[in-house]
Amino acid sequence: MLLLSSIVMIPLASAALCSLVRSHRVLAGFTIVAFAAELALGLQLFRRVLTAGVVSEWNEFFHADALSAWMVLLIAAVSLATSLYAGRYFRRDFAAGVITTGRIRQFFVLNSLFAAGMFLVVLANNLGVMWFALEATALASVLLVALYNRKTSLEAAWKYVMLGSLGLALALFATVFTYAAAVGPHPSERLPNFNWSHLINVAPQLDRRLIKLAFVFAFVGYGTKAGLAPMHTWLPDAHSEAPSPTSAMLSGVSLKIALYALLRFHILTTQCLGTHFSGTLLLGFGLFSMFLAAPFILVQTNLKRLLAYSSLEHIGFICAGIGMNTPLTIFGALLHMGYHALTKPVLFFAAGNIHQTFHSLELRVIGPGVVKVLPITVCLMGLAAAAATGLPPFGLFYSELTVISGGFAARQTITSVLLLVALIAAFCGILTQLTRILLGAPKVEHSNDSKPWDGVPAMGLLLGALLLFSVWLPGSMLQLIHRAAGIVGGIP
Amino acid sequence: MNTPITASPELGSQLITLCAAVMLVLQFLLVVQRMLLTNIRLFALQSLMLSAIATIVAAFYHASHVYVVAGLTLVGKVFFLPWLLNRLVRRINITQEIEPLLNAPTSMLACGGLTLLGYIVARPFTTLQKLGNNTLAIAITLLLTGFFLMINRRKAISQVLALLTVENGVMLAAVALTTYGMPLVVELGIFFDVMVAVMVLGILVYRIRESFASMDTSKLTQLRG
Amino acid sequence: MNLHPLAILLQTGLLLALAPFVSGVIKNWKAKLQNRRGPPIWQPYLDLIKFLGKDVVISEHASWVFSIAPYVVFLTALSAGLMVPILTVQAPLSLFGGALALIGLLALGRFFLALGGLDPASAFGGMGSSREMTISAIAEPALMLAIFTVAITAGTTDLSRVAAALHEANWQLLNPAHLMAFAALFIVLLAETGRVPIDNPATHLELTMIHEAMLLEYSGRLLAFMEWGASIKQLVLMSILVNLFLPGTLAADGTVAAFGLAFLIFVLKLLGLSAAVVVVETVNAKLRLFRVPDLLSAAFVLAALGLLSTFLFQ
Repeated sequence: MLLLSSIVMIPLASAALCSLVRSHRVLAGFTIVAFAAELALGLQLFRRVLTAGVVSEWNEFFHADALSAWMVLLIAAVSLATSLYAGRYFRRDFAAGVITTGRIRQFFVLNSLFAAGMFLVVLANNLGVMWFALEATALASVLLVALYNRKTSLEAAWKYVMLGSLGLALALFATVFTYAAAVGPHPSERLPNFNWSHLINVAPQLDRRLIKLAFVFAFVGYGTKAGLAPMHTWLPDAHSEAPSPTSAMLSGVSLKIALYALLRFHILTTQCLGTHFSGTLLLGFGLFSMFLAAPFILVQTNLKRLLAYSSLEHIGFICAGIGMNTPLTIFGALLHMGYHALTKPVLFFAAGNIHQTFHSLELRVIGPGVVKVLPITVCLMGLAAAAATGLPPFGLFYSELTVISGGFAARQTITSVLLLVALIAAFCGILTQLTRILLGAPKVEHSNDSKPWDGVPAMGLLLGALLLFSVWLPGSMLQLIHRAAGIVGGIP
Repeated sequence: MNTPITASPELGSQLITLCAAVMLVLQFLLVVQRMLLTNIRLFALQSLMLSAIATIVAAFYHASHVYVVAGLTLVGKVFFLPWLLNRLVRRINITQEIEPLLNAPTSMLACGGLTLLGYIVARPFTTLQKLGNNTLAIAITLLLTGFFLMINRRKAISQVLALLTVENGVMLAAVALTTYGMPLVVELGIFFDVMVAVMVLGILVYRIRESFASMDTSKLTQLRG
Repeated sequence: MNLHPLAILLQTGLLLALAPFVSGVIKNWKAKLQNRRGPPIWQPYLDLIKFLGKDVVISEHASWVFSIAPYVVFLTALSAGLMVPILTVQAPLSLFGGALALIGLLALGRFFLALGGLDPASAFGGMGSSREMTISAIAEPALMLAIFTVAITAGTTDLSRVAAALHEANWQLLNPAHLMAFAALFIVLLAETGRVPIDNPATHLELTMIHEAMLLEYSGRLLAFMEWGASIKQLVLMSILVNLFLPGTLAADGTVAAFGLAFLIFVLKLLGLSAAVVVVETVNAKLRLFRVPDLLSAAFVLAALGLLSTFLFQ
């Protein structure tokens, strides 16, 4: 059965359908159905990968191993929640006259294309196709960021597209170098196999200098898209100016997809060079991202920018975990990926609700005492904030603990201590900022929100999943993540 | 005459080197030239050189699928994209770049330094190159000077052109390092990506112009911190 | 390596005779291209004869520098010309130095030209001198780099040996380093001979003059030698351009027939280059003074790129 092809084709079909539909109420419904189907397919893929190890179709054009399956699950979950939220969100904006039907339709079409691109990235075997899919994702998301056509959104979109395209051009360089290296072992072949699954098998025979150069380019290129400092400057702008559903998708999964592409190069480089060159780069810049994010979180005045810097910090953490290169830390990092993908969208959905009620994202305008105005939203947001900063019993606590203890176990004491310090700094920053606005008595009288259940299904779904998987991680899922960690660590 | 060209690859190598050198000179001209329409024409010329290189490769090395790449580059980057950008510039009605960050002589010197850097980076790979000595150095130089161009210029269209020259550099690297180019699937993908990217950029530029009444990207400074 | 007195005499005669011819051709063709009749091609010869017959009037503020400057300009241009291969591969004075000596001699000439402009304490002369120095500050490095590019290919700065080395290699035509050096040298030629777009040789507005301003105070035979020196310098630079980049057409042996053929081809090459100069002069407008460094630094960077290319494209 063409599982992988359907995973990629369904969002494309949904995008096509959405472009034809007139009424915007139906649009959300279509997308929800599509992504629910995606989630089901994702679960099936998960089961197939566990039993068969690897799933491939179309002569290895599509190729799914444990790492891909894990990413597919994350994308599907976040996309589903986003579609659930987006329907309500845009209905409210439409009623307020902020947006037209055409723009709403544009959103749903672009959103599906965005998701389709992301699925293609994780399922494509050919490194060139992976690049192409990531670029398609980038282009779709740029138009999404610019959706509201405000001056600030255009500025954010411009910065995003310039830096993103530049990064992807560098990544294309990396792809070309890797291809040149692939030509090496088979000089007689005209067009050697450019599939990742094949390259990883012949990795030790590839030209080392080319692969090293390729990784440096890929690191800067894909790192820009993944939001690693110092190439992260587009991140706060793009994630704050985009409509909240898109911010959730961007922070929740698209950063991780770019990181996935970088990881594929990392695995190849480590196998080829046999040293920790790529791991050290990941670790160093991961730590740098975390320490860069902390002060910005403390001085932030815009709610969504605050959340964006928090994403920067989390991505830095994941990179550091993978860079430390022990089985335990890699496992922790991948687990962290999953939990963060479930948590961050909830925060953005809540921020979206706040934005629509208060018509501003500035923290001093939102003021203290939001809990009196949007009690349910704040409750869910509070839980998500607790999760995002790494409080138990949420899963992020366990993943952070795993990474840090893995670091200590591997005698990388200083690194682990630095990680701990950065995490604590971010923890203090986010909680201070959020409690300042969420709790307390409101300074200005706001009318009580008449739609308290807005967005709750979406947020509830994700939070529920988060809580569930925090306390009970099914054995099969643990196995999948272990396998994925094995792939990243170099055991195919 | 139906016999394929069997002249020595030496001649082909020299022709490729020549075309690559012209691409470099055009890049330098792009750095100092201030009229936007001329810049677009310079870019079209540069892409023409790239297409010529692909054709030479296809002819001398009997790789027929590289003709497709040459053709795509010709149609897309020499005709379509410049036409699109021209239309955009005329619609927006801004034809000249404003004072760049660094003046012309300093920019040229900076780009000269970047050329040297590109050469140093590409030096270890001289033995791996199949044709046209050290076109990899020029490819990396195109990347670095494209970067420089993006920082130095403030008009949005110039930044788009800078990005496109970086893409030209990547394609040149692909030709320099691999005899037969990349698989057609990948080439097609990249080609369509570039087209769509420019269209998206065009939409954005137009919207920026409408919103800000200017294409000066140094006015986009509201988002800070 | 021996000094042939006959060769020296012959080349001196050639330089003296051809220099005004080239100036005349350029002026005439420029006029034709602008739809005028223009002065006849031998007009510069008539002008020289006229100047030689006239009285010399010297400003009372001028010193001896003013009087010897024209002779220095004339002699340096001539000696520089004797180091360049014109008809044969072997230049007559080549043993006294190659590219560096040539550039040094031209610089000496330029120095005295500027001094001569300053000496009579005339405002326009001083202005012309300072502008000339500004331009040459950037043009000279470009000239050096361009010549060095070709010299590196041959492995020596001796222009005769350079021409000999290039005589053998046939495909150097396509060498990107040489093409870039040629382009840079062409721009330097325009700068050194005071042509549009750097300077307008036909202007009569003192404020726009550069080269002409330095000649304003000269009269009689001093002016004759200044003009002659300038046209010889022009011929020298043009010979470098045509003979070092297309040297396959120099005389191989010492027969009269070979010399005759070489002379013919040389004149044809000069005419071709003059046509290029005329077209460039007609098509372009004179640049504003503060834009001239932009153009010249473009030439400089082009020459530097050419030099770099000799390493790049090994």
